[in-house]
Amino acid sequence: MRAEIVGFWAVAVVLLASSLAVVLTPNLFHAVLFLAAALVATGGVFLLLDAPFLFGVQLLLYAGGVVTILVFAIMLTERLVGQRIVQSSRFVLNAAVVSAAVLVGILGFLVRRSGEAARPPAIPDVTGAIGRALVGPFAATFELLGVLLVAALLGALYLARTDD
Amino acid sequence: MTGTALAVLALPFAAFVALALIRPLRRSGRPAGYVGILAMAAAFALALRVFAAGGRGEALWAWIPGDGGPMATVGVLVDELSAAMLVLVTLVSLLVQIYSLAYLDTEPAPGLGRYYTYHSLFAFSMLGLVLSPTFLQMFVFWELVGLCSYLLIGFWYERPSAARAALKAFWITKLGDLGFIAGIVMLWAATGTFHLGTLFEMARTGALPAAGLGIVMFLIYLGAVGKSAQFPLHVWLPDAMEGPTPVSALIHAATMVTAGVFLVTRAQPLFALTPGVLTLIGWVGAFTALLAATMACVESDIKRVLAYSTVSQLGLMMAAAGALAAGAGFFHLLTHGVFKALLFLGAGAVIHAVGTNDIFRMGGLFRAMPQTATVFIVGTLALAGIWPLAGFFSKEAVLAGVWEGGMVGPFVLLAITAFLTAFYMFRLVFIAFFGRAHTDEHLHDAPPLMAGPLWALALLTVGLGLLLAFRGGGEHHGPGWLPALSLGLAAGGIVLAWATYRRGLISADRLAAMFWPIDFMARRRYGLDALYVSLYRGFVLALSRLVGWTDRYIVDGLLNLLSALTGWAGDVLRRIQSGHAQDYVYGVAFGVLLLFVWVQWWSR
Amino acid sequence: MPLTAYLVLAAVVFAIGLFGVLSRRNAVGILLGIELMLNAVNINLAAFARFHADVVGLVFALFTIAITVAEVGLGLAIVIVIFRVRRTVDADRLDLLRG
Repeated sequence: MRAEIVGFWAVAVVLLASSLAVVLTPNLFHAVLFLAAALVATGGVFLLLDAPFLFGVQLLLYAGGVVTILVFAIMLTERLVGQRIVQSSRFVLNAAVVSAAVLVGILGFLVRRSGEAARPPAIPDVTGAIGRALVGPFAATFELLGVLLVAALLGALYLARTDD
Repeated sequence: MTGTALAVLALPFAAFVALALIRPLRRSGRPAGYVGILAMAAAFALALRVFAAGGRGEALWAWIPGDGGPMATVGVLVDELSAAMLVLVTLVSLLVQIYSLAYLDTEPAPGLGRYYTYHSLFAFSMLGLVLSPTFLQMFVFWELVGLCSYLLIGFWYERPSAARAALKAFWITKLGDLGFIAGIVMLWAATGTFHLGTLFEMARTGALPAAGLGIVMFLIYLGAVGKSAQFPLHVWLPDAMEGPTPVSALIHAATMVTAGVFLVTRAQPLFALTPGVLTLIGWVGAFTALLAATMACVESDIKRVLAYSTVSQLGLMMAAAGALAAGAGFFHLLTHGVFKALLFLGAGAVIHAVGTNDIFRMGGLFRAMPQTATVFIVGTLALAGIWPLAGFFSKEAVLAGVWEGGMVGPFVLLAITAFLTAFYMFRLVFIAFFGRAHTDEHLHDAPPLMAGPLWALALLTVGLGLLLAFRGGGEHHGPGWLPALSLGLAAGGIVLAWATYRRGLISADRLAAMFWPIDFMARRRYGLDALYVSLYRGFVLALSRLVGWTDRYIVDGLLNLLSALTGWAGDVLRRIQSGHAQDYVYGVAFGVLLLFVWVQWWSR
Repeated sequence: MPLTAYLVLAAVVFAIGLFGVLSRRNAVGILLGIELMLNAVNINLAAFARFHADVVGLVFALFTIAITVAEVGLGLAIVIVIFRVRRTVDADRLDLLRG
């Protein structure tokens, strides 16, 4: 148990620090890197929650794919401008207030509920269960997801084409 | 009998429908006239049959359904009263329609067709009115008759004065009609029926609720006040002379204006229960008679003189009704209808020949138009009440009835009126038909189509008179001195007129100066017209201005305000669409916060 | 750690992501903030899945990741097109939807 607590705090600290860094650093490239760190930390959280499959997917798709795409996008859009855009909007205070308010609101809900302190017994073979769910009750959704990805792919291809 | 009466009613209606719907027929002019005249002649024949057979009868059909029997019925009621009116209306209508063919010979064909359409409608309405067995049906036809009056007074509608006169007649009679409908509805509310027979039965057996009956009968009388031009609603009748003269003869002498007298006579059993109202009727009638007679003495328009004379005579009839001598009043209605129509048609012949209504531009017409002059003088003598013409007997009956009814004040007023009647009528005759001619051009006498009805009416006047002289008068015989008094008054009036206007022994101006207050007021119609106009301007127009202002600024203003508000709100709200995606996220965040608040605090 | 701890963690990350969305000027920066928010949601789902012993939460998290991937791809494609047309990715200057 103690390992779990320590692990949680470690991952939490990393996650929070890197998230803050993502939104606060002026350099966009650094922000993407910090995002990668945050994504990996999230994967760590998944591990703590006994979801190894999700950890894998997170690393592969998020930390791998999404970050890559973001890096490419930054290179394509920033390089040609040639100068650093000031990264922060003028209304930082407004943003901070609104986000703090939302946080308070959510915490207000959380405070009320009695958190289950104890974990119930873990599901054996979580990955298998996920797999069975995907081809069982959620089969249709799964297929639609495939359609969605194809549509996104085609859309992105079309939008980003060069006009020859 | 009721079937025949229905046929009498249906014939002019059929003529009206034919003329109204078949446009080519109507626009052809004279053929339209023939249609109307034919229908009228047939109706007259049938009316004579009804009258001669002396039948009585009633036929009713359910009209407005209601719980426990129909709420209102329609039908025909035939008795001596309605039979006599049937004959009068059809006869005078027929003669007037024949006369109009010649009088309106210069009228373009479409207009002539329209004229006869209105005439047929009027005949139908008037006949329906006299045959009504219920108050409600009578009211419907009452309004129809008013409509026809409006249409016919304003026949030459391009003339502003005619249009105004038609509207004035409609307005003033409408005031009376308000009372009428209010009265009969109140009566219905109290008794549950409009049917005359039922109401009379209730009156006889004392089943009528006495409380408020006075007000009800007064309101019903108001309708008669408007229609029969009693003071103060008499102002429309002189202006109604803007219509063609045959129309004046028919509607404003013999038939429509008598509807009020007919109403009071018909409802006698009900009026008998309210002596207060009867006294009022008597006094108002007598006062009207005198008032109108004074105004006739200063008029220079031949038709206006006759109009005031009609108002005066209507007052006479009403006074008789007020003295519970309605039979005498109705008798006078019948005889007056004949000789007043005669006088109007005669005046029409004169106007047709001379081209003006002003008697001071006429003169010496006796030489130029002997036929017309003769019949006119016959009518005048009848109106003045000279034996043995019909007018003498009916006037005497009225005076007797009023005396016997114990209404001394009205009697005195009526006596003075009799004197003045003879005076102003012969003033008219002497100025127009005698004396020096004002124009040298050759004037034609009445053409045959006009002369025919004139002679018919004249012969009828004389014939009726002789009949009455040998059969012995009407039902009312007053005190022995009464015939002498009425003849004396008439003779006195004639002598005074002769002395003033024929021989010039008395100067007309000196005469007027002697009675200068009355002369002054009479010339200005006692300020009543001015009063009505100022009331109308002051009250009605002010009200309409207020309503207009409210409509424009408050109702419209409200709507304009709403639309302006919408526009303004749109301008303001447009700024939310800044185009910056982050602002939209702010919006979403706010919405989420609101949701949080709502869930936390309200859905406890 | 109790469930509430994970939920609080997720809430904080969500708020940080929201802050990023609202305060960043670069369009790609805004997308980074969105990524953080979606991540927080996934943490939430996984936590509930564990503490209620139901695998549905994980399945949903999977779907979320897949959809996020699609969204990022398309979003960045749009950013690139806008950059080509407008020569800027400054969110303050992109107000084509202005009403």
